[in-house]
Formats: sequence, C-alpha cells, structure tokens
Amino acid sequence: MNYRIGIDIGGTFTDFALLKNRELILHKNLSTPEDRSLGVIQGLEHLAALEGKNLSELLRQVDAIIHGTTVADNTLIEMNGARTGLLTTEGFRDELELRRGYKEDIWDVRLPPPPQIIPRRRRLGIPERIRFDGSVHTPLDEDAARDAIRRLAKQGVESVAICTLFSFTNPAHEIRLAQLVTEEMPGAYISLSHEVLPKSPEFERVSTTAVNGYVGPRVSEYIAKLSDRLKDAGYQRHLLLMQSNGGVMTQSYLARSPIRVLASGPAGGVIGSAAIGEAKGATELLCVDMGGTSYDVSVIRKGMAPAQSGWNWHHRYLVAVPMVQIETLGAGGGSICSAASGTLQVGPASAGAQPGPICYGQGGTLPTVTDAILVLGLLSDESDFAGGSFQLTRDGVEAALKEYVADPMNCSVEEAAFDCWRVVNANMTQAVRRLTAQKGSDPEDLTLLAYGGNGPVFAAIQAQELGISRVLVPRTSPGFSATGALAAQPSIDEERSYIVPGTEADVDHLRHLWKELDQRAESYLLQAGFERDDIHCRYQLNVRYPGQNWSLTVDAADVSGAQDLSFAGEQLVEKMLNRFHQLHFSEYGHARTSEAPEITGVRLIASTQIPQPQFTGGFSAECHSATPHKQRRANLGQGYHSTDIYRGSDLVPGHFVTGPAIIEEAFTTIVVYPGWNAQLDDAGDYELTRQTN
Amino acid sequence: MSFELNRRLVARRPSLDTDIKIDAVTASIINGSFETICFEVATHLGRAASSAIINQSNERNASIIDANGRLAGISVGIPQLLFVSPLAVRWGLENAEQDDWGPGDVFVGNDPDYGGGHLPDYTVYAPLFDEQGELVLIQALQAHQGDTGGKDPGGFSVDSTDIFGEGLGIPVLKLVHRGQPRRDVIDLLIRNNRFPSFAGDIAAMISAVQAGVRSLHTLMTRYTVDSVKAAINYNIDQTNSRFRQAVAQWPDGDYPAHVWIDQDTAGNPDVHVQVTCRVVGDQLTVDMTGSDARPELVNVWNTFANTRGYAIAQLASMVDPDINKNEGLFYAVEMVIPEGSILQPAPNKPAALGAFHPAVEVGEAICIALSPILPQRSAPQVYKLGMPSAVIGFNDAGEMWMDQGVDVRASDASATQGLDGWGSMCAGLGNLILATAEDAESRFPVLNLSREMTTDTGGAGRWRGQPGTRNIKQVLEPVSAMTWMVSRKHPLRGLCGGDDAAPYSNFFLFGSADEFEVENAINAQLPAGAVTAYQYGGGAGFENPLLRTAEAVREDVLDEYVSVEAARERYGVVLTGSAENCDIEIDPEKTEDLRRQRVAENIRDSST
Repeated sequence: MNYRIGIDIGGTFTDFALLKNRELILHKNLSTPEDRSLGVIQGLEHLAALEGKNLSELLRQVDAIIHGTTVADNTLIEMNGARTGLLTTEGFRDELELRRGYKEDIWDVRLPPPPQIIPRRRRLGIPERIRFDGSVHTPLDEDAARDAIRRLAKQGVESVAICTLFSFTNPAHEIRLAQLVTEEMPGAYISLSHEVLPKSPEFERVSTTAVNGYVGPRVSEYIAKLSDRLKDAGYQRHLLLMQSNGGVMTQSYLARSPIRVLASGPAGGVIGSAAIGEAKGATELLCVDMGGTSYDVSVIRKGMAPAQSGWNWHHRYLVAVPMVQIETLGAGGGSICSAASGTLQVGPASAGAQPGPICYGQGGTLPTVTDAILVLGLLSDESDFAGGSFQLTRDGVEAALKEYVADPMNCSVEEAAFDCWRVVNANMTQAVRRLTAQKGSDPEDLTLLAYGGNGPVFAAIQAQELGISRVLVPRTSPGFSATGALAAQPSIDEERSYIVPGTEADVDHLRHLWKELDQRAESYLLQAGFERDDIHCRYQLNVRYPGQNWSLTVDAADVSGAQDLSFAGEQLVEKMLNRFHQLHFSEYGHARTSEAPEITGVRLIASTQIPQPQFTGGFSAECHSATPHKQRRANLGQGYHSTDIYRGSDLVPGHFVTGPAIIEEAFTTIVVYPGWNAQLDDAGDYELTRQTN
Repeated sequence: MSFELNRRLVARRPSLDTDIKIDAVTASIINGSFETICFEVATHLGRAASSAIINQSNERNASIIDANGRLAGISVGIPQLLFVSPLAVRWGLENAEQDDWGPGDVFVGNDPDYGGGHLPDYTVYAPLFDEQGELVLIQALQAHQGDTGGKDPGGFSVDSTDIFGEGLGIPVLKLVHRGQPRRDVIDLLIRNNRFPSFAGDIAAMISAVQAGVRSLHTLMTRYTVDSVKAAINYNIDQTNSRFRQAVAQWPDGDYPAHVWIDQDTAGNPDVHVQVTCRVVGDQLTVDMTGSDARPELVNVWNTFANTRGYAIAQLASMVDPDINKNEGLFYAVEMVIPEGSILQPAPNKPAALGAFHPAVEVGEAICIALSPILPQRSAPQVYKLGMPSAVIGFNDAGEMWMDQGVDVRASDASATQGLDGWGSMCAGLGNLILATAEDAESRFPVLNLSREMTTDTGGAGRWRGQPGTRNIKQVLEPVSAMTWMVSRKHPLRGLCGGDDAAPYSNFFLFGSADEFEVENAINAQLPAGAVTAYQYGGGAGFENPLLRTAEAVREDVLDEYVSVEAARERYGVVLTGSAENCDIEIDPEKTEDLRRQRVAENIRDSST
C-alpha cells in the first residue's frame, strides 16, 4: 500500500495532507523559519508515527511528495536574495528600473521606489544587437563583454542575469555571454532570458529574468537541501514542486527557471478547489482563501484555473511566467481597523501572526478583524470554542475598539465592530469584482468555495453581496493548500513568440515551434519517470486583432500519447481565427470579423496524470436537522440575537442547519447567515444555499 | 460656444435630491463600488481596444457622473484627464430633452468649445435611469484616439491656426439609440479617421460604457436609488470638507509662481503661465490672472476643461492621497481662469498641443507656488516634452502606419522632500504603460538603439531628480517625422533650492554630416537609415544639493546617475576613483573644505 503526501509551508504553520488509498489524513505543525526543511521532517515523523512506522519505512512507501514553497516569495519580502548582476543589450540597462512607466499609486507622490534587486552599477550594457527576425545587426563584442563581467566580479556578484533584445528568436548572444561568464566567474549562478521567459517584450522578460537571478540561488539551494534530507530519510522518488501555474514539476526542470515556484503556495489551494468543485458538480467557482494577513481570490472556469502570463506583479516586481490568477488583498483576520477623518479603514496593515489580534492574548494592542468578529459573537472566548483547540480572550478588545474606532466614529463599540465587519466585507467584494472584471465573468454565475481559517466566517455574506446562491466549505478548509497540492498534476506550460498576420502565418513554422516545445516537455517528463503514452498535450495559439496589445489564447488541439501534429493542417489557421472571433465576442461583447487577426505566439501545456485524492460529493445520506449545542448572543448582520451554535464534531453527512446559526470546527468557524441553510454532503463537506422563501 | 457657456458649464451644481440620511460606512462602500466599476470599464476598454495608445499606454479614463453633472467617482487613469469628463457630459445634459435621452443610449463628445478636452480625447457616455424613468447616473469613458481626421495624422498639427485643421469637433452625438447602434453615425466617425483600428476602439468604448451601466444598475438595485444618491452627496461633501481641513492647516497668504514655455509652434517666445495660490482660512483660490493672452500665439491654447483638470490633479497630489477624488475638490477650490487667455481660449482656437503646454505648466506653477508650505508633497505632476517624436510611413499595401513615440523613457521624475525622484515619470503618469522596443520593431520599420538614462541630467538637490533618458531611434524606411520641442530654454524648475533638471534636446539625422537640432516645431522628411536622438529632461532637484549626504552622492556616482565632476561641482563632494573600477571613495577633508567654501559663496551671492 502506497502513500502520497502534500506539504504546504506557510508563515506560521506547515500543513500536511497524507493520502492513504482514498483516506486523507491531515496534520499541522509550526513552521521552522531558520531551516524550513526541519519542520517538514518533523511533520513527516509525526505522520509516520500515526501509521505505526518509522520515518524511513513510511518514506519508502511514498509514491510522491508534492510541495508548495514560499521560499521565493520570502526572499523578495525579506530582500535577502543573491547579489545579482545584469548583462543586457547596450542602450537598455535601465529597463528594469523604468518599469515601462508603471507606478503602483497614481495619487501618492511619496510612494517610495521598490528596493533595487539589481542596482544600476550592476546593470551593464554590451554592444550587440539582434533584430526582430533573428538576424544579427551588431555582432557580440566579446572584449567588452569580458570587461563588463569583470566589473560584476569586482562587485562580488554571485548571480548573473542575461537578457538581450530578441533573444527568444535568436539566443546565440545570450548563450555566448553565458560561456564568457562561466570562464570569467566560475561558479556564478546564470539566468538566461530565453530560457526563463522566451517571449517579448523586453521589460517583462528582463524583469522576470532578474527576479529569477535574485531568488534562484536560494530557491535551488532550499530545494536541494529538502530533496537531500528526504533522500537521506528514505524517500526514493522525485520531489515534485508546485509551480505558479498550478502544475507540479521536478527539481531538474525548475533548475533553469526556479522563478516558476513564486506564488505557488496559494496555487495549490486553487487546484484543490477545482478538483473538489468538480466532484460536487461545480465547475464555475469563485475561490476565496482568507487567512491571517491576506484574502486571496481566484476564479475557476470550466473546472480549470487558467494560468496567465504577462502583467503579474509580485512584491513590486513583474514576473511574467504563467501564474494562476490570484488577487490578493490585505484583508485577513489580523487586518488592523482604524478610523481617521470620518473614514473607517480596515487593513492592509496587519498584526500578522505576531503579536496577532488582541484576542489571541499574545500582546496585540491594535483592534483587528478577528477582534471585531469576536465582539459580534461570531467567535467566542468560551473555553469550548473551536472544540477547545484554542482559547480567545476579551481582555483589552473592547477598550481598543473604543479608542481606535468607536470614539473617532462617534458610535458604540458594538456598532464599531459591526462597521469593521461591513468594511472588510465590502473590501473583499471589491477585490472579487476587480478579478472577475479582468476575467470577463459575472460573479452571479459562480459557486463560492471558501477556505483558510477565516474564509467560512464571511463566505455566505460575501456570496449574498455578489449575488451567488451556493457556497462550498470543505471540511479540510484550514489546511486546504496541502490537500490541494495532492490534486495538482505534473505540467509544463511554455510559450514561444511568433508575431505574424493570421493570413500570412506559416503552418510549418507553427508546427516547428510546437514540436520544439513538445520535445522539451517530453524530455523532462520522461526524466521524471513518466511514460510518453501518459503525456497529454494541449496546443494553443495566442491571437489578437491588429493593434491590440492583449492576446487571447485559443485552443488548437488536445492530443494524448505519442506526438501527433496532424491537427496542424492547412485549414488550421483559418479555423483558429474563427475561434478567436467567437472568443473575442464572448469576452468583450464584440468581434471585428472584417479584420484579419494577428498571431502572436504558440503555447503548449504538456501534462500527465498522477493519482489524486478522490473528492466526492452528493447527498445520498438521509437528511435530518442537527441539534444545536447551545446558544450565544451574536450579530449576523441583523443586530444581536440569541443564535444557535453547532459543534462541527457533532455533525455527520445529511445533517442540516438552518440559519442564522454558527458552526464551530477546529481551526475554523462557519457562519450560516440569516436566509441561508447549511448541509453536510456525503463527503462531510459543507454546502450552504440561499433559503427559498 | 462662448465664455458664457463655459461659465454656465462650471457653475456649481446642487446636491442630488433625496431625504435619506446615509451612514459613513455605506457611503464609503458605494464609493468603493464606483471605483471598482470605473476600473472594470477601463479594463474592458484596455483589453479590447486596438490602438496602442489605449491598450498599451492606457490613455483611458473612466468616471461616473451624477444627474446634476457632478463627478461622483473615478479610479485608474491619468489624473489630469480623469477630472475632465464632467464638462463634456454637462453639455450633453443641457441638451438631454431635445436629444431624446433614454435608457440604452450612448453618446460621444470631444469638442473643447463644448466642455471637452482636446479633439483626440473622445468622451463616450451612457445614462442610467431609475424605474420611474428619472436620470440617476452617467457612465463616462474618455480615451485618446489615434487620429481625429484633421490635416495631419494623429490629431497634432504643429501649424494649425484653428481647430478645424485638427479634425472633427463633436459637441454631442448619439451613437446608440435605445440599445440600437446608429450605424450611419458610427460610419461617419470611422470615415473621418485615418486608422482602421479606430473602428475597434469605438466599438470597445461603447461596449465598455454599456457594461458600466449594467454594473451601476445592479448597484442601484442592491442599495436603492435614494441610498446611492445620498452616498454621492455624502462623499462629495466629505471630500470638500477634508480638502478644506487640509487648507486650513496652511498659513494664510498669497503664493505666486510663474512658469515659462520656450515658445509656441510658430516661434513666439516665452509663453507664460502665472498662478497665485491664495489661502484664506480653509479657502484656496487658484488665480491664473496674468497668464499669457497674446492673440498671435499658435498651438499653446489649453482647453478650459483641461485647465481645471490639471489644476485639480496637481492639488490632489499635494494632500492626503486617501481623500476621495470627486466633485468635492471643485467645491473646495475657487479657480480664476482669465477669459481669452491661453488657459481659457476664445472659441475655435487649436487645442491639440495645448493639452500638453500650457496644460502641464498650470500644475507645475501650482506646485512651485505651494512648495514652500507643502515641501513633503511637492512634486510637479508634469511631462515637459513638447510632444513625442511621431514617425509616419506607409507599408507595402499603401496603408499608413505611425509610431507615436510613447516609448519607455525617464523624464521629469522629480524629487520631493525626503524622497529622490524615481522610476520613469511622475506618480500621476504611473498608469501610462510605455511602448517597448521589441513590440515596436515587430510592427514598424524602426530600430531602437538606446534609451538609457544620461548621467547628470537629473536636477541636483538634497533630494535628487531622476536622470532623463536619451532615446536614440533609427528609421529603416523613409518617413515623415513630427515633433515640437519645449523645455530647452526653460527646463523643469528645481524646488526649494534644488537645481533645475537638465534641458530637453532633440537631434534629427543624428550622427550624420547633416545632423541638426530641432529648435521648435518640425514636420520633416527623413530618409531610410536616419537617426533621431531625443534627450528627455530629468526630474527636478529638491533643496540645496550641498545638504545631500556625501555618502548618498558617492552611491549616485557608483550608479552613474551623477558623475565625479558633478559630485564636485554641484554637490561639493570630492571623490576619488571611478565608477568603472567600482572604487569610488569620499575624500572627507577636501569635501568639508569645498562644502564650506560653497556655502560661503552662496551666502555672498544671495546678499549681493
């Protein structure tokens, strides 16, 4: 009998999901920021003990360990990446600093610049130039290149990012520069833009390559260390890592572009959501993850979480690799509430895990969202709250709400708490609207899936604001990203630029590009131990109208098994352009059918299947009303009333709860707002629906 | 079309009629919804539009206007232009009855003499009615069009002496009647535009405002019409009072400033903008009396709506950025804009280039005037280039193409107290996403040779201006090239004792025997292979450079923002070594001596 293990390392907790046949066993222990692999080993030892084994016995029986890491994100937050230099085309050394003009706030003249990951003294231009068609306009000046490399060496550079113009059409100069770096600075970490992000335009590519250079050494070192530790402990397979596109891949694939693990932690939750939603017949999902410091929103359409490359900003740097689109808002349980000049502000400032909300009793002094919902009675300071998993305190909570919110707003403490709840709710609703606006979808058509410690507190009221009538809350909600990682599949998602009017597109060249991408993906997947027969290829084309900046991605074909490009016949382009017109109409309400669209590139998503948890749903269990454990005074949006409180541990499939009510699970609380019902499905997950009057 | 009309359009509009009292939190939630809807509308257009100036450069601005013509909400865009739409919509409102406004209608206007900005800035707007058929809100969307059907492509004519040479002026025109597009009208607009991409842009603008109206309708249903009205009243009053609270903290007095523009496109020199900011209690008056009004000036006539927008945008950057941006700002600030001056021209003046200069100088003068009392938020929200160098050619099929030159660059990113200038441009232009070399070269026969910052072009100061870039570009086919240079003679001014930025310059046929500097407006034919070299001015410095720490100057020299020579000359810091060798060190004794000597010289200079 074999196991699979999902691991998600967060700021406070490391979450584990052990899949044993169809059974899912969850575990949480504290993260170990000094050396995060230690916390992983501790947790694995705990799981082994649960199974009555020692660590190496367990690991020998594990088919796959799938891991989402935040080490790239932390490197950018803490700004402790490698000392990095940039070699680029002469005349273009400042692109990284100029950011195509982008600034995050158009009204704030005091917004400081982002910390420079590569200051100007370490960004050096080299005489060389390749044109858009790959022809060499100016040959590489090797003497100048060596001088520049020595200048970097003098500055103690450990990591060199190389990005020259049009390297994605002709990488010769980048490759030669890499050789010169190896000669002049043996051992330097090298990032090549045509490997990290082989597409235009230059700012997106240079920024992604620079960030790769900055975080790469730390990410690679971390992965190697964890991989070695697991190997030493008895694990014999490849460690699979979550990527920002929601797929997983091996260490060897990520070696040249470790940037692909950036923001991969939350991606696991989104992939898990897609799988669980599908099991419950919900393929159009709005996923909301509300933890201690942030509120992450994403959208799943047709059962998939599409990854987009391009204008993805993280930690004030643009990283253009494909990423599951997640909108992050500084609104979590720890978000601080304050009032100034008649305006109530909630977040983005956060009390974080330390000192945390006042009611955690760990020294917090500023009122937070968690404190406000404690005053509202949604949470409780009773000793049996959350199955006794943790105890909250009211000490100082009301005084702080009075001082920082109620007095300035000239209202009572309870009113202040309610206003905090309303504002954080409204902020979250706006975040959802912004994301769905970019996706062109209407929230009303979606099912809301809520997870994270605080997600289910707000889920139903959020749904109501957005016009959504169905909400899912998995029982594994507090550690959902680890479970989600188990649902992720190995995948390689890459693009190649080819800008050409649709009418002039050369099908042979399209085939050539797809073939190249296919062979690249195949080599990594075979190396990871998969069979060609199990590889599934999704061929896509990026298309836009002449003059447009944003392309839409159009599906060309899905092919399983051996490489087969027979779909790419003479009729292909015409068919694709028609599909593009239709897609444009459905996204933007109009199509310009009299114009010939323009192809901007090809894309291939190569994936393969590994066993994943069997999520289930359905309501075959007999339906019966649950019995409340007790009552508590609480305000669920309609003033304070005595409200039924249910214990999650009392509830089994088929149980039915009529709102207003509160269900207390270990590590999370589900609020069933007035007008809503909750029911446990066959899997023991919660489904909340609007009451039909 | 008269000063009388302008006076009518800007007359203070009353609050919306409702008895409902609204709480602060609901009002702020509705305000957030307005911002989100504007974001949705702007994003819709950015994704679907077909001109680079909209879909890359993001020259699109969505706003929500109430039934009385008041600005109720805005979000992303270009601050100056976000404040412009209300006047164009007010002209539409004046004519609502005769133009038979109804649900499902969409309108367009662009005429500077009827409340508009310059001709390329089309404002498309759509009304929303309640169930009783009463007008409640208007979703407006302004975007810069690639062409306006005037004598020159792009809508900028350096030698146009009236507006008719610049293109088609539209006071108001109905594009969609009760949900049905008026094909005849839309075809007329498309016919009067050189670029085929315009059809996609106008279609995208229409579908974007229609989407905005749907979202506003949902919001109105969710909160009731009266609550939405009460929230608008509340938020506008709140902005008015917050801005006044800020002004009340400023010392009473008159704060004058004037700014010069090198010349108009005909070579008339030293065009000037005069501003006096008068603070009395919580009332700020911006009096532009004394600004240039020479009738012979060509192409330096700012539209009335833009003058107001640029003034308010600069002021909004000088107070707490959290103050909501709406009509309350116009309630809080009195503006005196002399009729017939370059800031409120008589009808039919050309308007295209005036939206650059003297428009930005209005904001610059306000910034200079208030900088002594608001040093922490004084950074001019400007672009001091006359206009980008646009190159125009024809492809093999005979179709015209134009590289509008909105390239990545650094220009005018100024320092303020405690913060060096940084990035590409001022904060306000942070949504203007600039064109890339790889994209341009895939579309047009051009080669971008360099766009690096030039050492020592940022104004020196205790806080330093960001250096400007030199954009060197080669055309690979014969083209016509058009540009207008200012800020060669009168560069961006330093603040509170900081140095001016370096001046702009622009060379055509650069590097050849025929190289020449563009001194004013030009529309030149360039042969294949010709090179242009456009040096953008840097940002201005803030406070005396002798106060900058020697260590910060050393860092600047290592990064080649500043040269060893300028470190000595401008900052009084004596350094050894070179940036190339990464061995720059401070000579502390010599630096101290030099700085002492410079301070003495300064005192002597100021006493003579």
